[in-house]
Order: sequence, then C-alpha cells, then structure tokens
Amino acid sequence: MNIQILGCSHDTADASVREKIAFSAAEVPGFLSAFYDAFPQAEALLLSTCNRTELYTLGTHPDLLPSRAEMTALFAAQKSIATKELEQSLFHHRDDAAIKHLFTVSSSLDSMVVGESQILSQVKQAYELAVEMRSSTPLIHQTFDAAIRVARRVSNETDIHKNRVSVPSIAINVLAKQIFERLDNKQILVLGAGEMAEETLTYLKAEAANNITVANRTLEKAHQLAEQFGGKTIPWSNILTEIAASDLVISTTGAAQPIVTLADFKSIRDAKKPKPLFILDLAIPRDFESSIDTADDVYLYSLDDLQAECERSLKNRKSQWPKALSIVEQETVAFFRDLRRRASGSTIASLKKQANEIRDDELKRLLNRLESASDKDKKQIEIAFNRLVNKILHPPLESIREESDTDQSGHSGGLLEAMKQLFKLE
Amino acid sequence: MDWLEKISITCFAASYAVVFGFELVRLYFSKSSVRSTIKIAFTVAGLFAHTIFLYHHTSVHFDRSGVWLGSWFGWSLAAAWLLTIAYLWLALRKFNSTIGVFLLPVVLALIAWGSYVGSETHFSAAREKSIWGMVHGIALLIGSTIVALGFVFGVMYLIQARRLKTKKLSQSGSFRLPSLEWLRNSAEWSLTISAGFLAVGLLSGVAMNLTGQNELSRFIPWSDPVILSSGILFSWLLVASLTSVFYKPARHGRKVAMLVSASFLFLVLELGFVWFMGHGNDTTKQKDTGQPVAVSTRSAEADA
Repeated sequence: MNIQILGCSHDTADASVREKIAFSAAEVPGFLSAFYDAFPQAEALLLSTCNRTELYTLGTHPDLLPSRAEMTALFAAQKSIATKELEQSLFHHRDDAAIKHLFTVSSSLDSMVVGESQILSQVKQAYELAVEMRSSTPLIHQTFDAAIRVARRVSNETDIHKNRVSVPSIAINVLAKQIFERLDNKQILVLGAGEMAEETLTYLKAEAANNITVANRTLEKAHQLAEQFGGKTIPWSNILTEIAASDLVISTTGAAQPIVTLADFKSIRDAKKPKPLFILDLAIPRDFESSIDTADDVYLYSLDDLQAECERSLKNRKSQWPKALSIVEQETVAFFRDLRRRASGSTIASLKKQANEIRDDELKRLLNRLESASDKDKKQIEIAFNRLVNKILHPPLESIREESDTDQSGHSGGLLEAMKQLFKLE
Repeated sequence: MDWLEKISITCFAASYAVVFGFELVRLYFSKSSVRSTIKIAFTVAGLFAHTIFLYHHTSVHFDRSGVWLGSWFGWSLAAAWLLTIAYLWLALRKFNSTIGVFLLPVVLALIAWGSYVGSETHFSAAREKSIWGMVHGIALLIGSTIVALGFVFGVMYLIQARRLKTKKLSQSGSFRLPSLEWLRNSAEWSLTISAGFLAVGLLSGVAMNLTGQNELSRFIPWSDPVILSSGILFSWLLVASLTSVFYKPARHGRKVAMLVSASFLFLVLELGFVWFMGHGNDTTKQKDTGQPVAVSTRSAEADA
C-alpha cells in the first residue's frame, strides 16, 4: 500500500492561508468527486478542520497516486487560488512519514491544544465522508481504523488527555478572565451552532454565564443549542444589533466570507456607551475582519492569536509526550509490519499454489507411466515430490517471512517484488 | 518597653524588600505555593513590625507633645503602612496577580523618602492634636494613599489593556494582572473614595482654621499655594469622579486610567508645594525636636 499527504496545518500556515483552503463538510464531496474524476484508481480522504486541511491519497501502487504538483493544482482549482501562493504553506509526507503524521494527528498530538478531544471526531467524520463517496475503499478502512485505534491507545495509556483543554476552554478560562472579572452579568452572543459553539457554551455555563444568545443561519439549530444551554435565540438578520449590545461574542460559523466587516462594526459601535468587547473568532475562514481589532476597547482574538496560549498548555503536558510519541512510533512500525505480512502472505500462498500445481501435474504424468507400481511405491513417490517442493520453497519463503517481520518501517518489500517477478506471480 | 524601641525601619523595610524580590522572581519562574506562602509571611511580619513602630512612635510623640503624623517622616510611614495593608489584602484576594511589582515600589519609596527627610515638619503639635487637626491630617493621609493606589490600578489597567491588544499575554511568562474589568472598577472606586476623603480633609482644615483659639487667626489663607493646590486637587477629583459616574463616555477604561494618573500627578504637585513652600506656618521647614512647639504667629494657626 502507498499513502501520501498534502496539506497545511497551524504549524505551517497562518489563518489567512488556512482559511483559503478550508472546506466545509458540504464542500468535501465536490472536492472528492473532482479527485476521483482525475485519479480513479486511487483512494482519497480530505480532513479539513479549523487548524488543518489535509488530503490523504492511497493506492496499491505508487504510480496510481497523483503527484504533489497535481494535488496542489487540484486544491488551487477548487479554491481558485494561485498554485504559487499555496506551495509555500503546504507540507507533503509519503508512506511511513504519512502514517506517522496521521497517527499523531488522530491522537491529538499535533493539535493546537494537545490532548483536545475534537480532532478524533473530526477524523471520524472525514473517514465517513470518504467511505460514502465510494463503494470500495479498503485502503482507507485499513489506515483510518488503525488511526482511530492508535488515538484510543494514546488516550488510554497516557495522561495526555487528563484535564484536557481545548481552544474554547483556553479562550474562556484564560483569555476571557483577563478581561472580565465574572461572566454571570455579561451579555454573550454565540454565532454558529456547531460543535465548537457547543463546546464553548459548556465552558461558559461552567463560568456561570446566564445571559446567552445564539444566532445561526438555520434558526432551528440555534433553538436546539440555546435550549440545551438555557439561552435565547435571535434571527440571523439581527446579529449586528446584538453584537453592539454584547460584552463577549464567540463566532464559530462556517461562512466563507467575513460576516462582520470593519464598516459594519463601526456603524454599530456606540461611542457614547463604551464598554470592552471581547470577540473570539474561532472560525476558519475568519468571521470578523481583522481590522476590527483596531477599535478602542475591542479585543479580537482569532485561532492564531490563541496559539501562544495553547503552546503554554502544551508545555504543561510535555512530561506525557515521550510516552505518547513512543506509542505512535510503535504503531507506525506495527502498521507497516502488518501490511508486509499481509502482502507476503498472499505472495507465499500464490507461490505455494503455483508449486503445488506443477507438483500435481508432474506427479500425475509420472504415475500414469508407472502403472505397474504398487500403491505403496506410488505413495512414496508422492511423499518425495512433496518433500522436494517444500525443501525448494522453504529458504525463499523463510526469507520473505523474515523480511516482513523486521521492524523497519516504510515500504521495503524488495524480496517480495523480486519473488513475484522471478516466479511470474500475479 | 525596651523591645519596642529595638524595632527599626530596617526591620519592616527589609521584609518588604524581600517580598518585592519574591514578586520579581515570580515574573521569571512558574508559580510556587511555597514561595507565595513565604511572601505572605514576610508581608505579615513586616506589617507587624511596621505597626508596632508606628504605634510606639505615635505614643512617644503624643507623650512628648511632639509632631508625628504631621511630619514628613510620620506621614510617609503611615501612608506606606496603609498601602502595605492594601497590598496584603490584594495579594490574598488576587493570589495569581503580580500587583506587588507595582505597589511595593511605592511603599518602599515612601519609607525611603520618610527616612531621608526625617522629622521635618510644618505643623505644630498643638494643631496636630486638635480634633479638627487630626481629622484633617488623617483624611488627607487616607485620601492621598487612595489616590496613589488608584494610580497603581490605572497603570496596571494600561499595561493589561496593551498586553491584550498586542496579544502578548504568553510572552510575559508568569506576569499576571487582574482583569481589565476589576482594574477599571478599582480605579473608578479610588477616584470617588479619594475625592470623599479629600473633601473631609479640606472641610476639616477650614473648620480647624475657623475654630482656632486665637481670634485673630480665625481666617482661611486662600492665597496659600498649598491650600490652592489642595482645592484644585479636590475639585479635580470631584469633577473626575462625577464625570466617570455620570458621563458614560468617560467610563471608558483607558479614560478612567488617565483620570487616576492625572490625579496622582496633582497629588505629587501638591506634596511638592508642601515640601518647597511650607504649609501651616510662615516659616519653611522646621525640625521636630520631640518637644512642644510653640507656634504663635497668626499664619501658623491658619493652615488648612
């Protein structure tokens, strides 16, 4: 199996780039269709979250996979961006490096807030979407089942998820507390009704926030979320008025363009009633124009601005890092060992089948000529043929098994390929 | 009691210096409960020594009819004492904040200033011990201390607002400040309360002059630069606090911080007037000898 990843994350690209190649759940099928039109023999999965957009492509042979340039061109075409602009922010991993990266991502070791819970469910969602797109995705099943298993192992065997924090928890428990003394008397507006909004509301409720308003383009979703957290809802068309009256605004929508521009903001900001306004823009693409931050007493924080605080939390978990990384490394090696065993198993079976067919043909021919031979002699001849085939096959098969059992990660399998060519195996 | 006399300024000044050291160390190293406990213990020990020192010297000066709180020395030490109490309260209430980095230098500067100037005074012991004199002195002392406290809150507000605006919270390591909301409210509170105390101080000064023993001395020297500057300071605080309470645009955190900073500047100016031009008599500075000071000039009875 061959696998490669092309993508960008919070480590390689800032929010302004990430938001350009971010895909909403609704956009993913369109992207994958375009991929399959161009590369029908490969399998593909697109993981797009606030902090990363990664395209995983898998194939049984390297030639079936698109090149880096082809994948970059696909991104560029889908998002109408210049290829050159993208190139600098994209990373590319192949085979063992790609698997290690996937395991690191699914275990939340590569997250902005290490140990956060969201990423695993995002990986699962991407997996489901990829599987829905095609009737047969054996390589995706094999790889992403392993990724989910590794994430669970890291979670069970280390304390990296203990007292785990997420971007919303840092935003509320660290940043909001630097501005507000208490949240129970603050007017809070949540824009969007997705998973991020729900998680943020959990932390707000823990801080006794009780004046919560939820706005979402689909009002029904806003009602559900508001009901869950004891808040109220407003129509989407009223958000500007509500922002003007709020102390804290949390924005988590999947809008492709900013929903509040500087001009909008200036028109609603009442100079006669100045009060600090804390805007947490947790959306990618960003919901608030970054220039809004220049307004007096307005503190606009995007995901990138939260990164430094997240790194501080990462520091506190460093003691668990070696253990977690060691699990990821072990599992990467085990994944490839398993792959090699499966591949060698089928080659061995083919070789044995081919040898047995030759043996049976020759034995049949010989026994037809030796009609006078007793049954006892015929049995001895059959045993001799079996032993001959087994003795001839034993050394090469042993070598193949040894090669597949080595803990070298990566896609070696040179002997296996040689064997296939030598014996003209399928 | 002999042991009371053994407590010197060095005892509590050194304790406060150690606490200040701990506050500075905290900027560069992660939080430690042991360090915090030692810091509070040193503050309490220093405050205890400071209290004993003030009590002892106040008693001695009262017994000898000397001037104590009216002297620069006594006034500075009493102001430092009040600020240290405020620091202790804030350190316990805002355990994670590095308030001491801002407040303790003011405390140490007041102690150093008091020690440097010694017992120079402008006031007579008789005036200090009159009811109006005591109310006048104590109200102005508390008012001035709260102005200084408000200034510290204002500075912290501006720094905190800047850190939040520039998104540099993490780069400052363990440097933590109270929330913007708390700092703004505290600065606003200090404006209002200090205006109240200065009003009491000013009115008690007027009452003190109008109830003087000598009929000839019963007038208020409005042209005295100190009285003039006190009046301006009070008027400023009154206008500033009323503005910040009733005029919403002025409640903007940065404006409140600017108001308290300007109040502090006025206070420093006023203290400068007192120091350079004298207040309460027509002479300039005099040394308190610990003996009754006979001040019989008309203007000496006419301080406010």
